Amino acid sequence: MGFAGCLGGGNPNTVLGEPDREFDSEDVPYPAWGEQVPAVTVPDPIAGESVSTRDVDDISLYTFFFSHCKTVCPVLIGTLRNIQTQAANDGYADSVLFLPMTFDPARDDGARLEEYAGEMNVSLDLGNWTFLRPETEARARTVIGETFGIRFEKDPMEDAEGYMFIHAAVILLVNEDGYVERAYRGQSPDQTAIIDDLAAVR
Amino acid sequence: MNRRQLLAGFAGAAGTAGGLWIAMNGLSSDGALPVRIETIDAPGSPAGEMRVPTPGEVTVIDLFATWCAPCETQMDRLTAVHREFGDRVRFVSVTNERLGETLTRDDLREWWQQHDGNWSLGLDPESQLMGALNAGGIPFHAVATPDGAITWTERGLTSEDTLRTAIQRAIDHE
Repeated sequence: MGFAGCLGGGNPNTVLGEPDREFDSEDVPYPAWGEQVPAVTVPDPIAGESVSTRDVDDISLYTFFFSHCKTVCPVLIGTLRNIQTQAANDGYADSVLFLPMTFDPARDDGARLEEYAGEMNVSLDLGNWTFLRPETEARARTVIGETFGIRFEKDPMEDAEGYMFIHAAVILLVNEDGYVERAYRGQSPDQTAIIDDLAAVR
Repeated sequence: MNRRQLLAGFAGAAGTAGGLWIAMNGLSSDGALPVRIETIDAPGSPAGEMRVPTPGEVTVIDLFATWCAPCETQMDRLTAVHREFGDRVRFVSVTNERLGETLTRDDLREWWQQHDGNWSLGLDPESQLMGALNAGGIPFHAVATPDGAITWTERGLTSEDTLRTAIQRAIDHE
C-alpha cells in the first residue's frame, strides 16, 4: 500500500508525497496523509458564524486544545502562532487558515478565546485565525473524538480550574482541496518542518 | 483513520497531563553547538550576535517564552543567581518565539524589563538552539564549560540551589 501510485509514492489528492513513517494512514484514528478532512460544521464563537470543514478552500492547519490547559496546548497553539507570524512576515497570511478547535465549550466561549488569543500573542486581526467551538461537550466528543479521531478524556482534577482534559497532540495540514497533507503527532511539533511543508503545498 | 483504535492505546497521551510546559519544537535536530543567535537591545543585552554557549566562558542558558507562566517565576530565580555569578559567568535567555505584529521587539523588551532581566536576551526563531540542546520543554536550562561542553541540563522550574551547584561545578571544571 505504501508504494501505491507511482515513483515517489504519490497521491493524486496531495502535493506532498507519503511521509516516512511506520504505518499507513488508515491505521491511525485521526485523518492522515491523503485522507479527506472529516465533514463537520462547527461554530466560530468570535465571529458568530459556523465553519464547514469541507467548504474551506484555504490551506488549513487544525489543532485540538482547551485554553485552561497548561501543558501541551500552549505548545500547539504557540506553534501555530509562530507560523501565523511567519506567514504575516513573509506575506502569505492570506494563504493559510488556522483552525484550532476546543474540547472545552463550557469554559472556552468567545470571550475566553479572545482573551486566550491575547495571552498567546495570536492575531485575530489578520483574519486567518478562527477558533472552533463545538456547541456542547457531547458535541465535542462527537466531532473531535469520533469524527476527527482525536482521543481525549476529561480528568476531574481537584484544582482551582476544576477539570482538565487528557488528549492526543495533533496538528493537521490540510490542502485547498480538503485533503490531509501531513498529520503531525506529538508534544513537540517541529514548526520549521511545518513551515517547509506549508511552503511546498502553497 | 481507524475507528477501532479510537478507544485503544490511550496511554500515549497521558503524558500531556504532566506539569511541564513542553517545548515548541522538535527533538530530532542534533545541530552542533555553539549556535549563533541574534541578541536584542534590552537591559543587560546589547543588540548583536553571540555564540551560545559562548566559547571561553561558563555559560548559563535559559530557554523561555513570553507565554510561559513558569518562565516568569524562573526569572526571579535566575535574577538571584545572576547577582551572584554574573561577574564571571555568561547568562543568556533565549526565546524561539517569532517576532511580528503580535509580539514585537518592544513587547519582548517590555517582558524582559518587567521580569528584571539584566543579561543577554536572544532570539532563536528557527529553534536551532532548542534543537541542539534537545530541549523537551520550557523552561529549560543548561550550563556549559568554557570549552563548550554542556555539563548540566534541566527541564521545568529549576531552583536557585540547583542552578548554583551546576554553575559552580562548571566553574570548578576549568
